Amino acid sequence: MITIISKIELEGTDNLKYTDVGYTSEESVINQINEDYDATLGKFLGENRTKLEIGQVSISTFFTDIAYVNEARATVEDASDLGIAEITNINEL
Amino acid sequence: MSAPVSVNTFNANPTPGNNFYQFSYNVASGSDRLLVIQLTMANTVGYSGCTYNGVAMTQLHSTNRGGLSQRMAFFYLVDPPTGNNTLRINFSGNQWNPISIHARNFTGSGGIGNEGRTGGQTTPNTQSLTVSQDSRIMATACSVNAISTIQIPQGTNRTFTTHNTNRQVGTGAISASSGLSAGTYNIRTTSTSGSVTNDRVEILGLSSSPTTDDADFFMILE
Repeated sequence: MITIISKIELEGTDNLKYTDVGYTSEESVINQINEDYDATLGKFLGENRTKLEIGQVSISTFFTDIAYVNEARATVEDASDLGIAEITNINEL
Repeated sequence: MSAPVSVNTFNANPTPGNNFYQFSYNVASGSDRLLVIQLTMANTVGYSGCTYNGVAMTQLHSTNRGGLSQRMAFFYLVDPPTGNNTLRINFSGNQWNPISIHARNFTGSGGIGNEGRTGGQTTPNTQSLTVSQDSRIMATACSVNAISTIQIPQGTNRTFTTHNTNRQVGTGAISASSGLSAGTYNIRTTSTSGSVTNDRVEILGLSSSPTTDDADFFMILE
């Protein structure tokens, strides 16, 4: 399985936008990306899910000081035709 | 007859944070193509359709599992466009809970056959499905507790992907590539404890047609 790396950023004022930015088979890259996601956006979503649903909190709050977060949890069997580059080092992102 | 050939799968468990989620997905070339997608998410919002390269997919079902606070759905598209295109899932409102997504495409498929859906029952949840010659069966399970096994048919564990949608989901399980003989099969889902759902869909193979290049045809004269 090949893992797709998605860039997650703010769209408009209250929505998330996902963009595929690369793919990888490197466990270290996947783990590093997801640990960062879990500690930042994942944590914010977990803590504010209900408030986001009822409009008491805006996702824009999270993106005040951060432009985007990556996540690497989507998998495909074949990424050859997806038009994205293979990432072997986290610094390539 | 021949069994449908699975070509490419996509699995993801994102939090859409929007009234849609979309991703790039590659459908392989080949004849008698079929694209399917299995979905599970919190029932705070509903599904309002799926498209592939802008073409509306057919909704086989969208089932509210009130006891689990989840909506489980299955969409498909016969002879989808080939190549790398956008698969888009639309919601009735912003979805701030994670969604379980499994997409798969086939060649050599006659489309969707029988299906069965059974809500949460005490594990193991064993249900039957009658299929045609050379069909394959896909199954999904959801529970409060971790999904342990998905057996297609009963006694044969199939691999599946686990997702967390605030409930535990096992998705993407499919019977062996060789296809099944025509008949009725039990599909068993199990969780570590408590109750578990059992949704199953028949993926049809191709009916054989006689060739014209040898002695397959004959005429009866009276």
